[in-house]
Amino acid sequence: MAERLGGGGRAINFSWNGRRHEGRDGDTVASALLADGVEVLSRSFKYHRPRAILCDAGRCPNCMVNVDGIPNVRSCVTPLREGMDVRPQNAWPSIGFDVMSLTDRFNRFLPVGFYYKTFIRPRALWPLYETVLRRAAGIGRIDEHGHPELHPRKRHMFADVAVIGGGPAGCLAALEAAAAGAQVVLIDDQPELGGHLRVRTSEVAGDQRLEGLSGREAAARLRELVAAEPRIEHLADATAAGLYEGNLIGVTQGATFVRLRAPQIVLATGQAERPMLFRDNDRPGIMLASAVLRLVWLQRVRPAPEAVVLTDDDHGWRQATELIAAGVGVTALVDTRPDAAAAGRSVPAERAALRAAGVEILAGARPERALGGRHVTGLRIHTPAGERDLRTGLVALAGRPEPVLSLLAQEGVRARWDDQLGEFVPGDPPAGITVAGHMRGAGEDPLVLAGGALAGRAAGIAARGLAADGTADRIRDHERRVAETVAGRTPPAPLPRPGGGKQFVCFCEDVTAKELKQGIEEGFDTLETLKRYSTVMMGPCQGKMCHGLSARVHAGLADSSPAVTGLTTARPPFQPISIAALAGPHLSRIRRTAMHERHDALGAKWIDMGDWKRPLHYGDVAAEVRAVHEAVGLIDVSTLGALDVSGADAGEFLDWIHPNRFSDLRVGRVRYRAMLDDAGIVIDDGAVARLAAERFFVSTTTGNLDGVDQWLRWWLAGSQRRVAVTDVTGHYAAVNLAGPRAREVMAKVTDLDVSRAAMPYLAAVEGLVAGVPAVILRIGFVGELGFEIHVPADYGAHLWDTLVQAGRPLGLAPFGVEAQRVLRLEKQHAIVGQDTDALSTPLEAGMGWVVKAEKPDFIGRDSSAAVAGRGPRQVLTGFEIVEGGVPAEGAAIVRHGTAIGRVTSSKWSPTLNRAIGLAWLTSDEAVEGRSLTIRLGVGREGQTSSAVVRTRPFYDPDGERLRS
Amino acid sequence: MIGPLRRLRMGVAKSLKPSYDVVIIGGGSHGLATAYELSKLGVKNVAVLDRSYLGSGASTRNTAIIRSNYRTAQGVAFYDESVKLYERMSVELGLNVLFSQHGHLTLAHTELAIAGLRVRAETNQLLGVDSRVIFHDEIRRIAPALDLSSRPRFPIQAALFHPPGGIIRHDAVVWGYARRAQERGVDLHPYTDVTGIDVVEGRVTGVQTSRGPVRAGIVVNATAGWASTIAQMVGLRLPIVTHPLQALVTEPLKPFLDPVLVSATLHVYVNQTDRGELVIGAEIDPYASYSMRSTLPFLETSASHALELLPAIAGVKVLRQWAGICDMTPDYSPIMGITPVGGFLVDVGWGTYGFKAAPVSGKRMAELIATGRVPDLIAPFALERFYTDSLIGEKAAAAVSH
Repeated sequence: MAERLGGGGRAINFSWNGRRHEGRDGDTVASALLADGVEVLSRSFKYHRPRAILCDAGRCPNCMVNVDGIPNVRSCVTPLREGMDVRPQNAWPSIGFDVMSLTDRFNRFLPVGFYYKTFIRPRALWPLYETVLRRAAGIGRIDEHGHPELHPRKRHMFADVAVIGGGPAGCLAALEAAAAGAQVVLIDDQPELGGHLRVRTSEVAGDQRLEGLSGREAAARLRELVAAEPRIEHLADATAAGLYEGNLIGVTQGATFVRLRAPQIVLATGQAERPMLFRDNDRPGIMLASAVLRLVWLQRVRPAPEAVVLTDDDHGWRQATELIAAGVGVTALVDTRPDAAAAGRSVPAERAALRAAGVEILAGARPERALGGRHVTGLRIHTPAGERDLRTGLVALAGRPEPVLSLLAQEGVRARWDDQLGEFVPGDPPAGITVAGHMRGAGEDPLVLAGGALAGRAAGIAARGLAADGTADRIRDHERRVAETVAGRTPPAPLPRPGGGKQFVCFCEDVTAKELKQGIEEGFDTLETLKRYSTVMMGPCQGKMCHGLSARVHAGLADSSPAVTGLTTARPPFQPISIAALAGPHLSRIRRTAMHERHDALGAKWIDMGDWKRPLHYGDVAAEVRAVHEAVGLIDVSTLGALDVSGADAGEFLDWIHPNRFSDLRVGRVRYRAMLDDAGIVIDDGAVARLAAERFFVSTTTGNLDGVDQWLRWWLAGSQRRVAVTDVTGHYAAVNLAGPRAREVMAKVTDLDVSRAAMPYLAAVEGLVAGVPAVILRIGFVGELGFEIHVPADYGAHLWDTLVQAGRPLGLAPFGVEAQRVLRLEKQHAIVGQDTDALSTPLEAGMGWVVKAEKPDFIGRDSSAAVAGRGPRQVLTGFEIVEGGVPAEGAAIVRHGTAIGRVTSSKWSPTLNRAIGLAWLTSDEAVEGRSLTIRLGVGREGQTSSAVVRTRPFYDPDGERLRS
Repeated sequence: MIGPLRRLRMGVAKSLKPSYDVVIIGGGSHGLATAYELSKLGVKNVAVLDRSYLGSGASTRNTAIIRSNYRTAQGVAFYDESVKLYERMSVELGLNVLFSQHGHLTLAHTELAIAGLRVRAETNQLLGVDSRVIFHDEIRRIAPALDLSSRPRFPIQAALFHPPGGIIRHDAVVWGYARRAQERGVDLHPYTDVTGIDVVEGRVTGVQTSRGPVRAGIVVNATAGWASTIAQMVGLRLPIVTHPLQALVTEPLKPFLDPVLVSATLHVYVNQTDRGELVIGAEIDPYASYSMRSTLPFLETSASHALELLPAIAGVKVLRQWAGICDMTPDYSPIMGITPVGGFLVDVGWGTYGFKAAPVSGKRMAELIATGRVPDLIAPFALERFYTDSLIGEKAAAAVSH
């Protein structure tokens, strides 16, 4: 039974499955439960077998629980907090008795990939089967109506050197890099630095700073040294989860997500123990030796007084000694290597100590199976002398640890199988990244420590651009020593062929060695296809526990070598990251014009257009329309994009970008612009005003500013044109003053001559309006005499107020987007993006006149020529409703049950007292007066309206009012 | 032997024959489907070559969404046949491809987007495809987890509901085709890299591979993201630009989201698989590249957009992200059929929608090869359309609308 060791902190209350429990300050959720008598934390994915702490390092799925409503929390690395509500997952009716665990008994009928082979016939029943299958899916549960507030934060960091891993190699690397003058960020996924030294008592050798200290003392010394170095920032409890192009590191640290860039990265992510293969190797009470040590030293909980240690490497002998030092008696050490004489050869001191402690050494033995059910009661082993049952309540797995290579794999560096080491070792990293410490495969203290220090020094020198010193030579020497050490190793025995029963390779997905064997026999004989078929490595741990084991089992079964099999591609993130942390604080842009408060005061109803808020109307659309036609209206058009395009080649550049011409535009004039893409499709429109010989003012549609800005820059990039494009949208506020009395209003607010002769249609003038500098464009979208006035944004409200005051006696009314839409529809003016789509050419959209085919070249020229050659296939044209309701925008126009077109805009026109619209029609149908049938669609299914084609503007077809 | 204990027999051809009637480059869903359909039509001396394992490219990197609610009449008719073939696929191939038809919701957050959905609904309905615009009450019933409040920056206003849409197990589709094709005599050659294509007097005569030359009178390019590089081997320039497309998957959760959710405004789509994982994707990366390395901005923006739709998933964790590459055409429709090079056929330009079309493409490409006549269903997708300006504009319905 587990017991709490002395020295714990104050009591912390929490609940498990609704029952009250008590833990201590310093506990993790899992260690508190273990100390308080709760061992089984979860039920496995497929067979619902009981599972308990295996790694105590947040790498495996066994300890996943629901904490305060958040599913799949790794309880073994989650610090206990007062009042936590902890609940088990994936078990019904309870974690103690789970009905679905029956699948464990009848698994003969649920072999690997069974769902691909069943429920095929009868087809009609599949939806029912699928519902059942779907219900069994998943592990954690969320409240689908919940709205968890996790208060995520984003942090952007830059460093000369990033060191990933806070073990001895990582700490020394950080210290040496800092000593070279570099700013260092040291990322470690533990609460405190020291790595494996924190759970080690044996003496450390190989670095002067740590000489003669025990592991735990050395860890404390490293912490002091790092804390005293101002150039190191230590990120604790932080996992470098992703390594991306350009040395960008994604770091997850609680609710904070850090984006860290560093020209030099030292990877010192160490190594980790993995499960070993034997029947029922998942029984609670079987855990990694490192997990036992972590529980004792870090959480002050001893899982059992005595243990059997199982290993295939001298590492296990060291761990057995450490267990004894930690107060866990070792009754037996089982070393599976067939060459009994080789066992323990490289660790004579430990060998002697274990013998002295009376540990039974069983070399050349093989584990057959775990004994016991809900908790392990022993280990049945096969020895040269025959079968034996070792009684124990704790089996500590101390197989050869594997280097943690995931981040390197993310960088695209494939792991290399080393036959001599019997494990995957890192391939050669690209420039800017070095690999140090246990990751290199050579785990002797002097090599680990020197390797870390050298890597840090080299990275510091490189990042600071310092002159080369002797470091490079020392690294070469070091590399040679690593290679020599590795060459001196005894190669490990290959894995024995898996026998019967459930030997779990993948704890997440409950995949056994037998199932891998079957998958291979069915033809899924590469690791990649086997992974996809058996789902091995696809669970919550993403192969952290089973990747190497899968590759070795696969190689054994497929009569191959891991050197041939390789590993599958490890992908980010290394550890799961919550959606909230990745998303960061909830920020979204809202743009308000300088006149926003004025609209609000007038009771505007708002509409979102892109990022902007615009007034849709002020209460009475018909009155707004009437005011524009009969007196004067005022609309805020600050949301139109505004670009300043300047430079000696600006005119020629605009000629190239547009189908029409601007280089011949006179200063003081404005011209309509439509912009095409390479395929000759209309992608934006607006106006271009020439304010000076080399300065153009370009307006875009409200939603398209960013796209147009990027488009211009894209075409400028790499060209020799002398042009500067500046987004000045935010700099200006703008209104359009439109209506027959607009000129009278203008005359009251400016000293400029606004007469028709001085400021005719399409004039562009700079001068004072309302006493502030303004750009005035004689253009309009609503079909009446119009002045578009742009002033610096700070004066926006002032301009609005001045115009409203001057215009009020003349009947001025503010109007919104809705009235504008009606007004422009009366003129049959198309809105790009609403009336046009990804297939609309200017010729067909009724703007064929913008295409100046005689120009030498422009974007979309070839396509436009092709369209001109073949003639229009579909045409954007007006229509008016003769009988029936106003059709929805998007409604289909049909003849004999087939679509001949669709409505893009439709509105009730108070001016005309009927419904009007724009529609795309096949060109043979777009004939003045042709009768149309329009489906009313959504909510009015089966109903139609009758309409007739109207090819000319409904209002002022010759544009006399606009030009007045 | 009863169902679950039955053993599959996946396998590959041992030796590369010196000559085949048809060589299909690309062992993904399209290449394998074409091979399978050819074998049904009696054309059996067929080889499928792939540089890696079968299904190693886009076929098993895509997010396995099936639907037919396209924008153009040609697109709707084509994808509708595909959905019907997918519905029959488990029986046809004797392997359960786990087609989960819980419907497909395209969300509209703006008035303009609603109009776009109406256009699609109208086109779909006129062609007999189940698709309609729905509003809050019905959306809430179909996807209770969606945030329909006014809290989001762009609140959800309406949706296009397409009940036959859903998701499928993409690996199983690849395996199902591969197994049946092989049983019928097709030679499958994974890990066989095509290094060149022989052309004599304007006609293909064979291909060069990493395992030696192979003669063939007909060569089919079904290589998706690498389509333009293969076409270059016969001197053919395709109007294709390859872009990366990324996706991510979360930890498995108990099912709470049945339909596929798509939001073009937020550039995100989300579905929950039968394993319980949430699969989240976005539109293509904005730059051309053959890189299949994931990026951090994708992870961050997709998470933030998905959270905007489903606030309940804040604490759900991302397990894995990955990337594939897509062969984009200017009009977001595929290029299928003959080319100016005799015997060189293309089934390319599949962009982000190739997986949806695997069965119908395989069937119609096989028909083309076996009969020498271009089937009506794929005629609109001919390469020629770029020279006659007859584009099939699916950008509005295909861009992010996986």
